[in-house]
Amino acid sequence: MKYNRNSISVLVIGAGVAGIQSSLLLANSGAKVYLVEKASYFGGNIIKWEEVFPNMECATCMIAPKQQEVLQNENIELLTLSEVEAVDGSVGDFAVKVKKKARYVNLDNCIGCNECFGPCPVEVDNEFEEGLSKRKAIYIPCAGALPNAPVIDTDNCLRFKGEDCQLCQGACAFEAIDYTQQDEELELNVGAIVVATGFKTFDLTQTPQYGYKKLNNVYSMVEVERICASNGPTEGQIILQNGEAPKSVAIIHCVGREEKGYCSSVCCMASIKQAHFLKNKIPGVKIAQLYSDLCVPGRIYQRFYEEVKESGVDFIRATVSEVTQQGTGVAIKYKTENGEENTLNVDMLILAPAIEPQSDSSKLAEILAIPQDEHGFFSEKEPDLDSVDTSREGIFIAGCAQSPKDVPDTVAEAEATVGRILSLSR
Amino acid sequence: MAKKIGVYVCECGNNIADNVDIDRVIKALASLRDVTVVEKYRLLCSEDGKEFLKQSIKEHELTHLVVAACSPKQHEHTFMSVCLAAGLNPYLFQMANIREQVAWVTPDKEEATDKAIRQIAAAIARVAYQEALEKRDMDVSPDVLVIGGGIAGIRAAQVLASPDRRVYLVEKSSSLGGKVKGFDKLFTKMESGSALIENELRKVEEDKNVEVFTDSEVEQILGFFGNFEIKVVKKATNEERDFNVGAVVLATGFDLMDLKELPQYGYGKLDNVYTSLEFEEMNAPGGKLLLKNGKPPESVAIIHCVGREDKGYCSKVCCMYSLKFARVLKDKLPEVKVSELYSDLCVPGKAYQKFYEETKGLGVEFIRADKTNITQNGKGITVKYESKSGPKRDLAADMVILVPAMEPASDTNRFAEMFGISVDNEGFLAQEHQKLAPVASSVEGVFVVGCAQGPKNISESIVQSEAAAGKILSALVPGRKLELEVKTSEISEAFCTGCKTCISVCPYSAISFDDFRKIAVVNEALCHGCGVCAAACPSGAARVKNFAFTQIYQEVEALLK
Repeated sequence: MKYNRNSISVLVIGAGVAGIQSSLLLANSGAKVYLVEKASYFGGNIIKWEEVFPNMECATCMIAPKQQEVLQNENIELLTLSEVEAVDGSVGDFAVKVKKKARYVNLDNCIGCNECFGPCPVEVDNEFEEGLSKRKAIYIPCAGALPNAPVIDTDNCLRFKGEDCQLCQGACAFEAIDYTQQDEELELNVGAIVVATGFKTFDLTQTPQYGYKKLNNVYSMVEVERICASNGPTEGQIILQNGEAPKSVAIIHCVGREEKGYCSSVCCMASIKQAHFLKNKIPGVKIAQLYSDLCVPGRIYQRFYEEVKESGVDFIRATVSEVTQQGTGVAIKYKTENGEENTLNVDMLILAPAIEPQSDSSKLAEILAIPQDEHGFFSEKEPDLDSVDTSREGIFIAGCAQSPKDVPDTVAEAEATVGRILSLSR
Repeated sequence: MAKKIGVYVCECGNNIADNVDIDRVIKALASLRDVTVVEKYRLLCSEDGKEFLKQSIKEHELTHLVVAACSPKQHEHTFMSVCLAAGLNPYLFQMANIREQVAWVTPDKEEATDKAIRQIAAAIARVAYQEALEKRDMDVSPDVLVIGGGIAGIRAAQVLASPDRRVYLVEKSSSLGGKVKGFDKLFTKMESGSALIENELRKVEEDKNVEVFTDSEVEQILGFFGNFEIKVVKKATNEERDFNVGAVVLATGFDLMDLKELPQYGYGKLDNVYTSLEFEEMNAPGGKLLLKNGKPPESVAIIHCVGREDKGYCSKVCCMYSLKFARVLKDKLPEVKVSELYSDLCVPGKAYQKFYEETKGLGVEFIRADKTNITQNGKGITVKYESKSGPKRDLAADMVILVPAMEPASDTNRFAEMFGISVDNEGFLAQEHQKLAPVASSVEGVFVVGCAQGPKNISESIVQSEAAAGKILSALVPGRKLELEVKTSEISEAFCTGCKTCISVCPYSAISFDDFRKIAVVNEALCHGCGVCAAACPSGAARVKNFAFTQIYQEVEALLK
């Protein structure tokens, strides 16, 4: 290898659990790390979850200390609002072009006091909250987002639409708002690259039989995570569209599995977790899980399933044929394995969507010149032997960008990329 | 020496100033004992603010510092760096959080001001009793001991070994390769396991930096992360070897559950009923896929999840290798009827469902069965089964393959005891944190990988080995010292009664008993400063530096005054 341990720099793409863990281990070894994140905040999908299975730990509390470590580590340069545009060269000597979009808020001056949001006259859907709440054109996506500094959304900001609005600047006591900031082109030289771009969930409107976006009180699992979140749009109050708590809930597993052709690994556990959470928060709520095969692999997960089942959650092996509105709730028509047809009426329906690669992964695959599989996930060099290597030497993959997986497997892969990188650099 | 405490109140722009009457705060604090100076500043974390603070510490020759501002999570680190730059020991600094805990949450300005005064007074009372602590480090060995010569151990050795890092790979049996060596085909690519192992082994055997011990056992381990002393004994000759390593990787693998405990499956009593590992042997080169009567089977039933209910967990890989068996059978005996009896099909991830669908496409029958019972029927076998919703049914088969639950290898407990690491309810080696530290054990520097810490497939086992390597390579850099926790606990020799309570509660095994002095002793290299010992100690001998009772009492007293 051309590079040595003392001078190695690494580019980590994606600052979720995997990217954070890779960056911290690399930085602690003495490597210089550029941690590139396209959003204005970092932490990835996990910071949207209220609690994680099976120990029902608070996800943000679990990940926030790691985020603080990233922000304080002198070897890590966190580049938010940034995307990789070009990669040339080879292992030990990659030339990387990164486009860093202007935040229009100076991170050195901003203290995250939120005073600038109030006067902003614009209101649009908050994407972070799955559109369940509104945000301003200058905003922080949720309480606790890091870095604790807002961003101006130039698509919606009046000033960037040609109007003479300066209300946010006027509200800032620290001269942190700077409308003249420009996008930057950064050129980095790194010895290795870790791709940890994570996942998104299957578009539920592609399975119209479940009524998502057509019927009232049909939610995606991600929306429910936000409704359960204490920093979410309802501040953790689990309520239906009419403001009341649901008395009955159904969770349909494997939505999109048939379309995608693979099992997303974590949805059974995530569904069981949501049942556990709802059961504890809403006394007396009736919960049914409609599933085909229960996938609770490994030494820990089955126990969690059994606990939740014993707490009175129904598990019904069934195929759902149709969901229709029934009052404010829905009626779910399903067929059991021995052919019996039944209908279940509930106040709230939760759909567990398949996990799929990020929408820009093909573009990134092209930039990095690494292959994707038939589903669009980045391909490992050898499925059994080299799961975190790609066919291009020096470029590694970790987490759900490679295949759906849970947090511990994601962390293990992130740590494995570090093992591979530091063993190359000698 | 007289104490000179400096108190600096940050206005945080208007964030604190709007809701707290800072001038009243300053007035109230100025007369407190040992307070030399109280000043406010617009934004202490700014570059100007830090410079002002630095100059102020020097100018007033401060011995202690209190900053009243935001959460220490935000800027404790910042102000500790200012202390260092100003020549003040950073452990003689205390932060009072009057933003998140006061200005942002207490709406009434008068109340907020009173609260801020109390919080800062508490910090002043505390800081006066804090001790100057120094960062410490120690020399470490970069070398690594890997226990278990299966695929996980082999990969760990490969990734870790380098000219400046020696790896000792210890295997109890006479050869490396573990279970995978005996598998003729691996899912999903149906490649040879023995060829894979041969390939991987070559890399280890050619590496001068790996020393392999076969037919050997680790007999003793002493020490801690960075400095373990290891004794390995070659079983046949009783030859002993001692060496030092900085870290240990435990990759001791799995065994199958003993099916004699489950008589309903007829194992050991009925002819032609095999375990999955026995089937692997029959399928390996040199083996024959034949019934006891020498004829090839015409029908084979593969029973999933054998022992799952008794174990209480899903062994994760059995569905996939059962599908592999169906393929092997269909490949070698095209006319054979294969039935898979399963309860839930577990084919997680992007590649496995396709393998299942392809296998189903070969004409393999999939039968939902939550309970099975196997009996002799003339020369053949009857599999009685039922599912939760369906009726009881019978299936005739010439051969039955039982797929038993995986359990930790038989010597796992011995290693757990030897290393002092925790074992979970199922007997597997426990992880430091289920989510965020999947390959670290409860003992720092000892890593647990592969099936020793839970059922997993080859790829996951290899990833875990590389993960352990990542953690070790990151922490044990040749020539670099290891930084140690500063706020460790200590046990006063004068007060310790030798009751050993602290030893039993310490989660890091950092306390040992000095048999000569009859007292407990803290190993500062292992202590994380969690304070459990200080809480448990009945004689008040154990305390954590800068979390001593005096410091906490002073703080609480001032807060409640």
